[in-house]
Amino acid sequence: MRGLAALSEKRAERVLEVGGHAAGYCGRLFVRAGADVVRVETTAAPAWASQEAMDLYLHAGKRRLKDVDRATLARLADTADVVITEAAGATALEALGYDDWSCPTKVAITPFGRTGPRRDWRATPATLLAMGGQTTLSGDADRAPLTIPGHYLEFQGGALAYLAANAALFEGAGRTSDVSLFEVSMSLTQFSFIRWQCLGDERSRHGNAYHYLVPMNTFACADGAVYVNVVPAFWDAFTVFIDRPELLLDDRFSTNALRVQHAAELNALTAEVLAPLTRAQIIARAEAARLPVGAVMSVAEVLDDPHLAARGFWETVEHPTGVSVRVPSVPFAPAPAGHWRVQDAEAQSPW
Amino acid sequence: MVNGPLTGVRVLDLTHVWAGPLGARFLADLGAEVVCIEAPFGRGPRVFPEEPMGGWMGGEPAGEPWNRNALFVKLHRNRRSVCVDLKQPQGKALLLRLAAEADVLMENFSAGTLDDLGLGYDALREANPQLIYLALPGFGDTGPYSRWLAFGPTVEAMSGLTQMMGYEDGEVRNSSTALNDPMTGTHAAAAVAEALRRRRRVGHGERVELTLHGSGVAFSGPWLVAHQLGEPLEPRGNGHPDMSPHGVYPCAGADAWIGIACEDDTVWQHLAALVGADARLNREHRAAAAADIDRQISTWTRQRDKHAACLELQAAGVAAGPVNAAADMLADVQAGARGYFDFAEPTGERMPGNPITMTGLDSSAWRPCPKLGEDNASVLLDWLGMSGEDVEQLAGRGVLHDAPPA
Repeated sequence: MRGLAALSEKRAERVLEVGGHAAGYCGRLFVRAGADVVRVETTAAPAWASQEAMDLYLHAGKRRLKDVDRATLARLADTADVVITEAAGATALEALGYDDWSCPTKVAITPFGRTGPRRDWRATPATLLAMGGQTTLSGDADRAPLTIPGHYLEFQGGALAYLAANAALFEGAGRTSDVSLFEVSMSLTQFSFIRWQCLGDERSRHGNAYHYLVPMNTFACADGAVYVNVVPAFWDAFTVFIDRPELLLDDRFSTNALRVQHAAELNALTAEVLAPLTRAQIIARAEAARLPVGAVMSVAEVLDDPHLAARGFWETVEHPTGVSVRVPSVPFAPAPAGHWRVQDAEAQSPW
Repeated sequence: MVNGPLTGVRVLDLTHVWAGPLGARFLADLGAEVVCIEAPFGRGPRVFPEEPMGGWMGGEPAGEPWNRNALFVKLHRNRRSVCVDLKQPQGKALLLRLAAEADVLMENFSAGTLDDLGLGYDALREANPQLIYLALPGFGDTGPYSRWLAFGPTVEAMSGLTQMMGYEDGEVRNSSTALNDPMTGTHAAAAVAEALRRRRRVGHGERVELTLHGSGVAFSGPWLVAHQLGEPLEPRGNGHPDMSPHGVYPCAGADAWIGIACEDDTVWQHLAALVGADARLNREHRAAAAADIDRQISTWTRQRDKHAACLELQAAGVAAGPVNAAADMLADVQAGARGYFDFAEPTGERMPGNPITMTGLDSSAWRPCPKLGEDNASVLLDWLGMSGEDVEQLAGRGVLHDAPPA
């Protein structure tokens, strides 16, 4: 046992986790902090990878229970120090007996929150990202908006549930929290509300470009692609980066507003310079010019990234089937990466 | 002051741009006393050369452009502002004294920046062994990329998301929304709350590092595992590997869309009845006929306003949501009923609320974003017992500011 609990003279903190991927992500953070996490298995939520992959990523180090009846669930919740419960809606949450559980620190994660006229609307991450202002921002202008794939919204909701639980535990008085994934989505976009209210402009989608800053886009190169991010303060450095210092005197590009106006020309010019170079050559240039540029990397390349390896970023997780894989550690974990196991779900309560 | 679970926790916020300020806002919304330590030019020069990306609060710079940058204001409610020149010896000394009184210090400078000023973790720990120091560098203090610059979109490209996002296979796609910033912002706040509890157990502070790069890679976790298990990974447009149909469909009106997701056979039967499709198809058959089904759904949605279509679908028990832009969300009845946009800045703009609703916590005591250096005197009095005369002397020497120097 590591982290919080290992350093406590008391027993490990008991965390009861009920629900899908948001609760699962929250529970994962508790596991890495040393808590004794019991996950009650419910119907598997739709996922972007196999159940085995989701188990390996989310549920290592937890004790897992299956076929839990309502009375047992209540007993577990009454015994827990923290309860994290994710449900398909407010009524579904209440049907579990949530309001009767005596655990003082409870966090509910639902699509729309526990109150309001849409508290029981059906939702998935994609419909919530659409309603919550994220989907309208991604994709091409002349095509359908593009949903963010994966579990972005659920993991963000899980991280905020973890924040809420830890803040309440820190205070020690006991508080219950209500995390609405719809509100999580609305909280995490940058320009929408402000541009609309201050400028009367709805930010829309512009492919990979940021639109308000140029050049800020993906560019193809000899062995793949890179993302170039030039905010106004980096304009001078950018002209060095592409070895075109004469652009500093070019009236078309002398301000950001003009660069936006002449975006097609500037993007084309940038593309021409970068096309014959490799990612490594481009990154080396960017490092020299002090410019933020990232190499577009496949999933396989991320797993082989020397920087992550050098930082001890990976943990090892074993599955009951004998499979062993590397998974990302919690990105703020203070302890070195560890070795974890996924356990089979059991029928007997551990507490 | 916000009466939240973090009331009494003192945070020095030296972060800038998006990830760090977002994380500090979550802490402030939960009651932490967050003091921004701002550089004299930290909000921009005395006269902005151009309108900022989010525009001006109130629609104009009003002679104080540094206090009217809308993107900055959105992220900085419930804070106090101390504007201090950390390049001056007295400015450094002031920060060390404030750190001695703080519980948390957050910064997202490039790796090594505070060390170069003599204000790195070692100096701060000497001033306050109880201090929790949260560093939010792009790539971290160690590793071959540690000195590279990172912005949200550049590290998003390095997270693996590109392989999975896009209309079709083989294209290079970025979200264009700098996802790594909000990923880091939420985790920054979570990291602080966890570290506060750990400090109580171990009896001393610590340095916690959270990188913009690592935050994004962590979110690709299921795909990174799936790749090792030999599972196929490819973009699916607006489709989903586990749900069919699943997509974004055109509605009546210009650039109007709705997201629809069919989670199981029962939902499909309801959806099929609405759009006139074959209700008997199971998921495998639906996936195989996805193009035809999407056409049927699109024919139905094109005849309807996106909000009206959503109401019909929800009434039938189908998960659906209009693709909302800002005006839609500001008018949303659910957000309105829960008071999500209740807080407004003095210039009238309504601000996104706190997605954590908690017993005993509300937004009635929220404070607007402070003006640059607005709290110089009050913070130095409250935290350090300094007199108004002391503060005036520091201002006279150019250590404290309440506007960018001319």
